[in-house]
Amino acid sequence: MPRRLPARWQPESIGEFRASARQRFEDGVALAAAGHRTGAIYLWGYTAEMILKAAYFSLLGRPQAAVLTWTADILPAINAGRSMGIAWPVHGQGHNVRAWAEFLVATRAATPGTAYPHPFGLEVQARGQRIGNLWSETLRYHKNVAYLYERNQVREAVEWLLVNSAAL
Amino acid sequence: MPRKKIGVEVRLGEATRDLAVKLADELKSSKEGGQPLIYEQEFRTGKVRVTVIWDLWDGIPLQNRTATILRAYETAEGREARERIALASGLTVPEAQAAGMLPYQIITALRRTDPVTFEQARQAFLDEGASALVNPQALQLRFATEEEAEACRGRLIRRFPGTDDVWIIHREMTAQDFATAADWANAEEQ
Repeated sequence: MPRRLPARWQPESIGEFRASARQRFEDGVALAAAGHRTGAIYLWGYTAEMILKAAYFSLLGRPQAAVLTWTADILPAINAGRSMGIAWPVHGQGHNVRAWAEFLVATRAATPGTAYPHPFGLEVQARGQRIGNLWSETLRYHKNVAYLYERNQVREAVEWLLVNSAAL
Repeated sequence: MPRKKIGVEVRLGEATRDLAVKLADELKSSKEGGQPLIYEQEFRTGKVRVTVIWDLWDGIPLQNRTATILRAYETAEGREARERIALASGLTVPEAQAAGMLPYQIITALRRTDPVTFEQARQAFLDEGASALVNPQALQLRFATEEEAEACRGRLIRRFPGTDDVWIIHREMTAQDFATAADWANAEEQ
């Protein structure tokens, strides 16, 4: 008897986030190619979220396969971001791509030897802002069709994060 | 088959010129109170994080707000100052409030016998940077720290002597206040 899909999942980790980010990006490309713009944006938003979380926990020195949980890792990171002055609303806090991007930039700026060179950090922030303008995890509850330029803006921003993920 | 190369492209937002000029003037003047609230956090690395809370951002995309802040710093303090900024964020007062960044609020407890009228109090609130974005009839005068709120209250009392009991500092609960609560920490998101 083959194991069910959830039983085959690996625990969430930096490595799992990175691999899944690439897959969700490709899934989004397939949806976009089939004309499903909103569905594409929906998946690309998660792609960005996973890239940024992986980058942050990697910066902290967490091993690729270390299990990341809400209570031990994600929520403490969000609270650390708030303590640094990042605007991080409670609603959908774990999925706030703009806040994760800004938190990553601020954490690097605050840590000697890790700050992004100018203007790379501002580009990371700009991509987070652009995705944050057009995506939230609650997109799944809505039937609206995204405009072409909205699809293009999200794709460009997520693709940029993916291409630069090794440098984040 | 044509082979096309696309060079490195830096894509930041587009600065709003009028606001960049206004903000540059604010940076040079450094007023005691009123909007915009400009927070500069310098890190040990020499990098700076800037947050500008300003209702004039309303309707402007976040990336354009960032570009406007960078332009203003370059205008007011030069290119080097701009390049030290690692992160620049622009938020309206309601946005900053929603993010839990402005937990201190001054509210009025105005009586007929007080030496300040409703209209005077309203104007003073606006001068001190109150936000009318959510409801023009219910101004929001908010601050990040108790010290800022106390300083503003002091200015209001100096402006209207004998009004010590009129201006009340209220602190609202934020997400961070709940951060240590076990039930909050265990409320996993999906």
